Amino acid sequence: MIRKYPFLVMAILLTAALLLSIGLGAVRIPVGEIVRIISGQLFNPAHNAAAGNAMDVILLSVRLPHTILVMLTGAALASSGAAYQGLFRNPLSDPYLIGVASGAGLGAVAMMSLHGMHSLLGYYLIPLGAFAGAILTVVLVYQLAHVNEMVPLTTLILAGVAFGSFASALTSFLMLRDDGAVYRAIAFLMGGSPIAGWQPVLAVLPFMLIGMGSLSLSGHILNVLQFGEEEARQMGLDVDKAKILVIIAASMTTAVAVAFSGVIGYIGLIVPHIIRLVWGPDYKRLIPLAILGGAVTLLLSDVLARVLIAPSTIPVGIVTALAGTPFFLYILRRAKREVFW
Amino acid sequence: MMLTISDLNVTYGKKTAIRDISLEIKEGEIMALVGPNGAGKTSLIRAVSGTVRPASGTIMISGQRIEQLSAGQRARLMAVVPQARQLGGAYTVHQAVMMGRTAYMGWLGLESERDQEAVVRALEGSTLTHLAQNHIANLSGGEQQRVLLARALAQETPVLLLDEPTNHLDLRHQVEFLKLLKQLVRVKKIAVMMAMHDLNLVAGIADRVALLVDGCIAAQGKPIEVLDEETLRTAYQVSVKTYTDTESGQRVILPRME
Repeated sequence: MIRKYPFLVMAILLTAALLLSIGLGAVRIPVGEIVRIISGQLFNPAHNAAAGNAMDVILLSVRLPHTILVMLTGAALASSGAAYQGLFRNPLSDPYLIGVASGAGLGAVAMMSLHGMHSLLGYYLIPLGAFAGAILTVVLVYQLAHVNEMVPLTTLILAGVAFGSFASALTSFLMLRDDGAVYRAIAFLMGGSPIAGWQPVLAVLPFMLIGMGSLSLSGHILNVLQFGEEEARQMGLDVDKAKILVIIAASMTTAVAVAFSGVIGYIGLIVPHIIRLVWGPDYKRLIPLAILGGAVTLLLSDVLARVLIAPSTIPVGIVTALAGTPFFLYILRRAKREVFW
Repeated sequence: MMLTISDLNVTYGKKTAIRDISLEIKEGEIMALVGPNGAGKTSLIRAVSGTVRPASGTIMISGQRIEQLSAGQRARLMAVVPQARQLGGAYTVHQAVMMGRTAYMGWLGLESERDQEAVVRALEGSTLTHLAQNHIANLSGGEQQRVLLARALAQETPVLLLDEPTNHLDLRHQVEFLKLLKQLVRVKKIAVMMAMHDLNLVAGIADRVALLVDGCIAAQGKPIEVLDEETLRTAYQVSVKTYTDTESGQRVILPRME
């Protein structure tokens, strides 16, 4: 049943995770209320806006945008993780481990300290900075790590970690210069969403749709690349173009996620891994499933982050790191045996 | 001529791997490349398959110069069966063979009816139909090599290149693979260029043999002409004895150990 209907399973999980995320918090909103308020908004917006009831306001202007941002972020991290894994033919490629997330973080913080976040233009500059940081990192790490056309696990992780800490150090430096922003930036680097409301959702949406849309369509390319670049070329794939397409799409997706939700580790590693175990390595299915699975996983982590020590919240990056590290070490043990997916 | 190579030179930096090689292969013909390690067999295969760019010379397939073609166009004229190796991963045989249709399917990998039919034919041709839904990681070495053959057949090309396809296979799987290949080549009129080490297998399967030494063709012709004691001694620097099997007329090569 579970193996046969992957998308049905994911849809059920996502619905449950969305309801939990919208419903739980300092004020609990029951499922019936959620359905009433949202359907009211959808079908009769004029009437509801006038009502101005407290629960409506909490749901519509706090919970719902936060939930949607978390959902998009999880989807972005998991799908770009899956894409990097396919591209590098290495199951441990994750936006966080290979340094791309830190590079994107650097780009984002650089933009914040240059421009601030006072206008919608500022909002759009942050993802652009993050995107530039991400692309630069992925290209540098690949150049450092590749041995002929293979990217061995050890060099990839080493190059990623080295470049990641370099980028983090630069980020800290930028933050210390801009003293008003220290707290905000620290929270940002730990994966706490520092910005609330609908503005960030609107800012990430176009980038995410383009990025994840392209990744969803790259399944066949990634499948063919699993046989190695030489064989992929012999099968008729324009390998260089394919690699650039996937790198741009994955880095853009990672970058916007990082720009508004901070550096959140391991989602891009764990989610694709579990999906591969349950539903196989076919990237045509893996990427869309990773989008859904990433959304579910980060929504649940975020709910945990909000309820564990309520009324205060933990940055969600801490939750994913605490849960993700043991899992990462477990995969590291296994990965010695399986490099080709 | 299906495949025509003229005055081909391949260099890696200052080192010359292939020197002024010219070869022609007809449709339905198997040409074996033999020669000592480092003589340029793999370089020749890689140049023809478009993996390395030749320093000079031309490679034509049915009148088209292949270096001017895109990867997709080339993959519709020529398929490559790589060296036998352990294949991992949880792709099914059907999925792996379908990837051979990349040149026809486009970037999204949308499978048309023609693609489906080509895969069915390729699986039949490689006697893999009964294993189509198995994961390739669970197959034996011989079966995995037939998957790589089927993937190449699914490309439906007039030219097929094989780079030591039977390395690491046991005797039975070597013979089965080569018999299958010979039969397919005859039926589908494919022109085959195949690098191979085992001279006795070459004598059994090849229509013609090109012996490479130091990047040049030292001898070329029917197996019985090329694989003689004197030529092999010069090429490999070992002494061998050759016989002709009276029953099959096939050349037998016996290295002398003393």
